[in-house]
Amino acid sequence: MKLAYYPGCSLKGTSFEYEVSLLKILEALNIEIKEIPDWNCCGASAAHSINHDLSIALPARNLAIAEKEGYESVLAPCAACSNRLKTAHYELETDDILKKKITGSIEMPYSAGMEINNMLEFLIKIAGKDKIKSMVKRPLTGLKVAAYYGCLLVRPPKIMQFDDPENPVSMDELVGLTGAESVNYSYKTECCGAINSLSKPDVVMALTGNVLYDIKKHGADIVVVACPLCHSNLDVRQREIERKYEEKIGLPVLFITELLGLSFGIDPKDLAIEGHMVTADRVLEKIKEL
Amino acid sequence: MKTVINEENRRNFVSLVESMLHDKLSKCYQCGKCSAGCPVNFEMDYTPNQIIKMTELGMEDAVLNSKTIWLCVSCNTCSTRCPKGFEVTGIMDVLREIAEKKDIISKVEKEVQVFHEVFLDNVKSNGRIFELELVGKYKLKTRRLFRDMFLAPKMFEKGKLRISGEKISGLNQIAKIFKDFE
Repeated sequence: MKLAYYPGCSLKGTSFEYEVSLLKILEALNIEIKEIPDWNCCGASAAHSINHDLSIALPARNLAIAEKEGYESVLAPCAACSNRLKTAHYELETDDILKKKITGSIEMPYSAGMEINNMLEFLIKIAGKDKIKSMVKRPLTGLKVAAYYGCLLVRPPKIMQFDDPENPVSMDELVGLTGAESVNYSYKTECCGAINSLSKPDVVMALTGNVLYDIKKHGADIVVVACPLCHSNLDVRQREIERKYEEKIGLPVLFITELLGLSFGIDPKDLAIEGHMVTADRVLEKIKEL
Repeated sequence: MKTVINEENRRNFVSLVESMLHDKLSKCYQCGKCSAGCPVNFEMDYTPNQIIKMTELGMEDAVLNSKTIWLCVSCNTCSTRCPKGFEVTGIMDVLREIAEKKDIISKVEKEVQVFHEVFLDNVKSNGRIFELELVGKYKLKTRRLFRDMFLAPKMFEKGKLRISGEKISGLNQIAKIFKDFE
């Protein structure tokens, strides 16, 4: 099966570490993906917040191009992008009037036959747990990892059709494959504040602070995520949260692809781990000693 | 709090909301599950279940000018937990879209609204988000020039902020989509 790749804007900018590490591990797993030619922004939260039709048309153009190029499956590693692509797909599949309006505007047909996978789904369904496990050359035994899912990977369940919306386990299972221990905590699916990071920083820091302090309390060494927005809020804003609440956190936030890469024995430099704002040096030292 | 004044206006508002939402307001029996789980309830002027009831009562001005509709981050916790399967997250999208179409500028949560608008302008002109331009324009529009600026040097150093953006070649298609739906 030909596999299309929809990077989305964040992976080409503030979350470049996610793209670098995912391409590296897919190369190791010998899985080929191809970027959708001339893809456009999915409209993210802004489009659905103020213009419904736009929020369907923008992702629909990408899905229609992928279909025209003969793809049947798209990987969208950004949780928000995968959410928007899945939502557009769902609405086009279930609403004929809307479908006519949208395909008329993008001037391309869409048969609604595309399978859209977020990063976790892709790793489990397409790569497969057995294959991933067979690639683990440096088991991360003794490392305590908190898997943070946030909202958009699992909600709304009617459209995402992925894992349990209240108590997801798929990322914890991937953590388990690396030999690390996944930590149980309360804020796995609580929102980080997402798109309001720039417009309501105080609210976002309150929400993100709840998540980070709870993870800290449960003894994790690091956090892993599968969403660039979660990553930005947890990593980029962490120092500020520490200052605001006057309590040290010091939790490196890694993408799940980086954690897998480390367990595959890939050099941290090739996974762009030094691109994070909170340094992971201490954890990397700990891993080296394992 | 002013409630129903004009039955015809109330019906028109309810039917507009319901047609955009593809759901019925009367489904909601005010259990408050949505508001209990809402992560941003502490900042809202009306809780999500209040917004639903106020919409049903035709309190158009109050809901369209509320802080709540702009504070909602669309995390979908409410809709996921609603025992009636009501589109709670969806109603926030619908009310924001109506406010936007009526040119109602939020007095208290203007920054959230401006962010969405600047974001879409960026998509319209490039086809993709150019983060530095997005942030710059947002700051100019909201006059929040210095907030978060302390993050910039380290983000540059880490390679997180790119100096130039890219434009897609199908920009005319993007322009058409915006023309059709804006």
